Amino acid sequence: MDTYKILEIKESVFENNDRQADLLRADLKKEKTFLLNLMSSPGSGKTTTVLRTIEALKDEMSIGVLEADIDSDVDANTVSKTGVKVIQLHTGGMCHLDADMTKQGLEGLGTEGVDFAILENVGNLVCPAEFDTGASKNAMILSVPEGDDKPLKYPLMFSIVDVLLINKMDSIGFFDFDLEVVKERVKKLNPNIKVIPITAKTGEGIDEWANWLRTEVKNWNEK
Amino acid sequence: MHELGVVIEVVKTVENFAEKNGVTKIDKIVLQIGELSSMIPKYIEACYPAAVDGTMMEETKLEIEILPGNGICKECNKVFNIIQTKGKCPICGSKDNEIISGKEFMIKEILAC
Ligand SMILES: Nc1nc2c(ncn2[C@@H]2O[C@H](COP(=O)(O)OP(=O)(O)OP(=O)(O)O)[C@@H](O)[C@H]2O)c(=O)[nH]1
Ligand SMILES: [Mg+2]
Ligand SMILES: [Zn+2]
Repeated sequence: MDTYKILEIKESVFENNDRQADLLRADLKKEKTFLLNLMSSPGSGKTTTVLRTIEALKDEMSIGVLEADIDSDVDANTVSKTGVKVIQLHTGGMCHLDADMTKQGLEGLGTEGVDFAILENVGNLVCPAEFDTGASKNAMILSVPEGDDKPLKYPLMFSIVDVLLINKMDSIGFFDFDLEVVKERVKKLNPNIKVIPITAKTGEGIDEWANWLRTEVKNWNEK
Repeated sequence: MHELGVVIEVVKTVENFAEKNGVTKIDKIVLQIGELSSMIPKYIEACYPAAVDGTMMEETKLEIEILPGNGICKECNKVFNIIQTKGKCPICGSKDNEIISGKEFMIKEILAC
């Protein structure tokens, strides 16, 4: 007969992932690949922003893109037209990427010689915030039509990112979206956050974003 | 629903633990979930069978312990359940409090051999 005994684990479920994420970050540092984890709700403009970012930086550095989607190749096809390396990751129903999946994705993409890898995470403001992917820096997009109350509803996401891009600024006249109120709300959650208003569709504001990335990529790959 | 991904993470962690500790059979797993965490026990239970399917935990029973979402009032130091009082201190009425428990999502223990 089997004799069962109680084994204490006492481990936070996210600890395991956090450890793997730290290992991946250390590897990326050694390989001189800066990984950006880009998060937002569905349709906020991640892919459009990725395209603009590639356009702004591709002559200065080698870029690779990981497109995570529950099940489609639409974004990867769009991005591949720019000529940069891109890989599509299917999360198979999962609403976020963890460090393990990110690592596999990077292996599939091949990070050798890639200075800057962009991960377009699954469109979702809840789960991706809870799973460290191993990225060097985290950014999120909030688009104007989503409303200025989102920092109140999804505080964790706004607390963990280094940069908040406010996209679709061209539409601000149609919505009661108060940019100053958003800034105030996010700074309360995250005093060091950098907020950059952009219009990915036209490219407005992308300069400031590209400048930030330039500096971060340089710092990561040099030191 | 984001519980499935999280439960798969639980299974991975337990499998790791089992391997390291020479565990071959797991009768039961006990999770601790805080009332203020983003995990909903009902959904965890619902997606558990899918997450363990084809793993060494296929036959493992699931037990969930709920940890209360408590806060301490910054005005009068009263400890109270934030959910029941909607964040308002039952003594002085202040809404200024600090969360002291309830955000956990832990694997407490397994019953195994
Ligand atoms: N008006 C306006 N529309 C924009 C802007 N940026 C993106 N869009 C539009 O918003 C829609 C969604 O943009 P995507 O870039 O596909 O958004 P996404 O976040 O990648 O979407 P998912 O991958 O499906 O989550 C598209 O129709 C874009 O053309 C912008 O700055 N202004
Ligand atoms: Mg997209
Ligand atoms: Zn009080």
